[in-house]
Amino acid sequence: MSTESSYPREQYLILSGLANEVGEVTVADLARRLECDQALVAAGAQMLSSSGLVEVRETPYRELVLASGARELLTGGLPERRVLVALLEAGRPVLLTELPALTGLTSAEVGGSLRRLAQKGWAIKEGGLLQLGPEAARAASTPGEDEKALEALRARADGRAHEGEIALVCDLERALELLKGRRELLEVRTKRLRRVRLTDAGRARVAAGIREAKTIGQLTPELIATGAWRQATLKSYDVQLGVASRYPGKAHPMQRIIAETRRVFLEMGFDEIVSPLVESAFWNFDALFQPQDHPAREMQDTFYLAQPGTIALPGDADLVERVRRTHEDGGGTGSLGWGYRWEPERAQGAVLRTHTTAATIRALAQDPVGPRKVFCVGSVFRREATDYKHLPVFHQVDGIIIDARASFANLLGTLAAFYHKMGFQRIEFRPGFFPYTEPSVEVFIWVEEKKDWLEMGGAGVFRPEVTEPLGCQVPVLAWGLGLERLAMLRYGILEMRALYQIDLEWLKEVPLCR
Amino acid sequence: MPVVGIPVERLGALLGRRLDPSELLRHLGHLGCDVEGYTELERVRCRNCGAIHERTASEEIPPTCETCGAELRGNCEPLAPLEVIRMELLAVRPDMFDPGGLARALRGYLGIETGRPDYAVGPPAACLTVDPAVREPRSYRPWIAAAVLENVTLDPDALKIVMKLQENLHWAIGRNRKHASIGVYDFDTVEPELVYTVGDPQKRRFVPLGSPSTDERHAMTLREILERHPKGIAFAGLLADHARYPLLTDKTGRVLSMPPIINSEETKVTAASRRLVIDVTGLAERTVQRTLNILASSLCENLPGVQLRAVEIRGPEEARRVTPDFTSQAITVSTARAAKALGVDLDPERAAELLRRMRHAVTVQGETLAVEVPAYRNDILHEIDLVEDLGIAYGYHNIVPSLVPTFTVGGPRAIENVAERARALLCGLGFLEVMTLLLTSDDVHDGGLGRAPATDAVRVANPVSSEATMLRTSLLPGILETFRRNVTHPLPQQVFEVGEVTRLDPRAETGARDVRHLACGLTSARAGFEEVKAIAEAILREFGRPWRLEALEVSPFLAGRVAQAVLEPGGPAVTFGEVHPEVLERFGLQNPTVLLEGDLETLSGLA
Repeated sequence: MSTESSYPREQYLILSGLANEVGEVTVADLARRLECDQALVAAGAQMLSSSGLVEVRETPYRELVLASGARELLTGGLPERRVLVALLEAGRPVLLTELPALTGLTSAEVGGSLRRLAQKGWAIKEGGLLQLGPEAARAASTPGEDEKALEALRARADGRAHEGEIALVCDLERALELLKGRRELLEVRTKRLRRVRLTDAGRARVAAGIREAKTIGQLTPELIATGAWRQATLKSYDVQLGVASRYPGKAHPMQRIIAETRRVFLEMGFDEIVSPLVESAFWNFDALFQPQDHPAREMQDTFYLAQPGTIALPGDADLVERVRRTHEDGGGTGSLGWGYRWEPERAQGAVLRTHTTAATIRALAQDPVGPRKVFCVGSVFRREATDYKHLPVFHQVDGIIIDARASFANLLGTLAAFYHKMGFQRIEFRPGFFPYTEPSVEVFIWVEEKKDWLEMGGAGVFRPEVTEPLGCQVPVLAWGLGLERLAMLRYGILEMRALYQIDLEWLKEVPLCR
Repeated sequence: MPVVGIPVERLGALLGRRLDPSELLRHLGHLGCDVEGYTELERVRCRNCGAIHERTASEEIPPTCETCGAELRGNCEPLAPLEVIRMELLAVRPDMFDPGGLARALRGYLGIETGRPDYAVGPPAACLTVDPAVREPRSYRPWIAAAVLENVTLDPDALKIVMKLQENLHWAIGRNRKHASIGVYDFDTVEPELVYTVGDPQKRRFVPLGSPSTDERHAMTLREILERHPKGIAFAGLLADHARYPLLTDKTGRVLSMPPIINSEETKVTAASRRLVIDVTGLAERTVQRTLNILASSLCENLPGVQLRAVEIRGPEEARRVTPDFTSQAITVSTARAAKALGVDLDPERAAELLRRMRHAVTVQGETLAVEVPAYRNDILHEIDLVEDLGIAYGYHNIVPSLVPTFTVGGPRAIENVAERARALLCGLGFLEVMTLLLTSDDVHDGGLGRAPATDAVRVANPVSSEATMLRTSLLPGILETFRRNVTHPLPQQVFEVGEVTRLDPRAETGARDVRHLACGLTSARAGFEEVKAIAEAILREFGRPWRLEALEVSPFLAGRVAQAVLEPGGPAVTFGEVHPEVLERFGLQNPTVLLEGDLETLSGLA
């Protein structure tokens, strides 16, 4: 004897709906007919297929989608089309530098279009000149296959279409080949078309009688208190279905790198120090034996301040005198010095500190005897316009080891330990050249994704011309390392400024545990 | 840093050994060169003057010839491409800027030829009289040194090397010609008695280099050169306060150059020149002498067969000498000190051998080494510089990294612990951390908030853009800016920042003080005072110190919907409230927004 079977609402509707169909039907059509959510129908069909009542057949297809921003880019046609039109209108070879004015494109866009123009045979570049190519005449009257495809997509409000629809208006494969790599224009997504039909077993089950089960979505306090839940069927969720996202409060990615850096140096027995963002040229440069005419000190590279305009020299007049003499002729350090007249006025300039070495040199002056290890993480300033690899403000970690027993080999060991702890295994040391350290070294780490060495910062042993005027007679190992590059590697960011773009979407999505 | 292209084939010939390309790059890296790699340069020759122009695939030919100023397009002949090693100029080693100098260093490093190279200087081929006028304040450029090169054969490539070396030395040692500037001339176009003097800007005339011919109608006064000639315009600043301009002439008054601006067309070096005279003028004797030594010795390396002759400098007592002077600087190096400083094992013989590979002359005297430094080295001030040379010759890659043997105990700064707890607290309340720039402008910072420009802000004298003219004194503008940039992002948005703000403070050593602040903001359709008060109280509660609330009126908040928490002891620590709709409008925000800012030093009791 056959008994009636009960099914959750969607499955019940699918079974009864499919019983009226002769053959296959797509999930989309079925959902429309049942007036149900397509995702729910798909999930229901999947469940029924696992119990053998429904067969689901999937065929892949390509969906063509206009990239976001593509509509704007395509106003007036593809960049190469706009260049071609300009060339045709000019009726003569045109200088590359003229094109932005003729086309309304930026010079970067003009530059980007050159490869396409050459590829399509529309125009040829010779030196700084662009002239019509062999295909130009034909292209003038006939849109390319890629242009036809893009036009068809543009005509649609949602900017998307099944590949078959586009194949009606152009040579689809040719169009896709031309558009390959132009992600700013077109995205090709692989999708699956699902078709369902009732199996023989399914038909038999429907014939034997099916009904819709009474199901409950939300368990309520009332259902629990009254015990009514015992009579109800709790609806099963499709675990694949999307839900509204939740995001925790979390630290900024750069802040995490800073915190890690601090932890590593604390673990290695370093004391944390600080120094002001507003610094005197004396501590930022002079105390570091950086000659007063050094290019890094120029207005072009360093932010000088209008307010406060000057900062008094240190109260210890002997110290200032020792620094002056060391610059001029080496003083008592056995050095030749730089051989110029040191001007106290230039040392009084107020700057935004250009490196956190200003912090370590102050710490050395305060306690020059040691043994001592200190570090400072902080913001530093360089007079740069913001671009993809420069920022006027960025972070550094500086550290020094003041120790009679310290050697250059220990400096390399300390740097290696830091980068190992930060997750970089391959480190290379190459000679570097800085005015205040000798020997000096540049640190490189191996970046597997780039298959290249990346420079991380400079280090060295402070010169006697730096240490001796401060009353220090022992080796001082010193380094200043950039932190933004570490963050960029960690989070897969290509542009430094992207770290500070304050894009909440990115801040929410970038994983805490990376 | 400027980039130089060292022709591979020429370098190989100068080395006397063809090295495997990747091996060569490795050696250059170990010497401290910042090498970009191999590349091929396309080259064209100017039909007008014969100068060679090089370009990489991504560069365009300049419209006009940099040497003669003639139109280049359609007026140049293509040459065979040239394979070069592209590397950044190593500013401290100008003796390695050119193929000859670089090969000299490599030959030593590789052990092909070690020890100090010696350059024979023949007896003076010319004399040069210095007019005391160049030492007067209003025509100041006191120092000159010169040399003569005989038996010169210059092909266009060699000429190109000489010109590039000159240009690069101007950059590195000359500081854009200010400290030292170089002239190279055809010696056969002048009398061998030269005069370094000064000229009247309005009256003195000559035909500057780059003119179509030496014809007198192309002559310009010294002033006209500064005003109209491209090089004159570029370097006019160097003579800005001069009443009379430096001039190098021969005894007949024929002008060789107006240092540090430009040479004359008449004395121009061509491929046909067989004898050259070179001069360096400048502000400091050491720089001038060194620059000449570098230039003269590099020319000997680049132009095989060339003979160097001295120039006798006459005039005031302190200027008199014979140049070039290749006397070595003598420095004593202790092997034990060097080994300890580097952290490697070295005996005196080995150390001497390594220094010889860096082209020093070395005599072993027991434990110490008597080192004579080649006169072309510009970077040796102290024994420690030779220790570095030793380390480079030993190879940084051969030094075994190790840790300092001394044990030390470290610890964080108290304010960092506070900041860390504040971050944990705000994260726990569901706020997302942002980091905004420390540099801002009056317009955004106070203008946006409806405040008068801060009187206690640190201000930049030479800003790079109008958006970055001062250091922030508050974190609130950054929070509002964050909301402005994310207007299309789903609501609610809640963000915080913990960071430094900086204020002028006459009591501080540097005239300004950095204070750690905390700020947070919330924007949503229903954000209001009650919500921000609850957040403020949560923060205050967690800091665990008693407080009381006071109403106040302050931008950017709505009057009647703003309060401050005052700690006792401690004073005002936190301000919070609803943002005035006028401020919201200025930031393009359409939802109610609340803000809070606190001083972590006061909150934690560290202040």
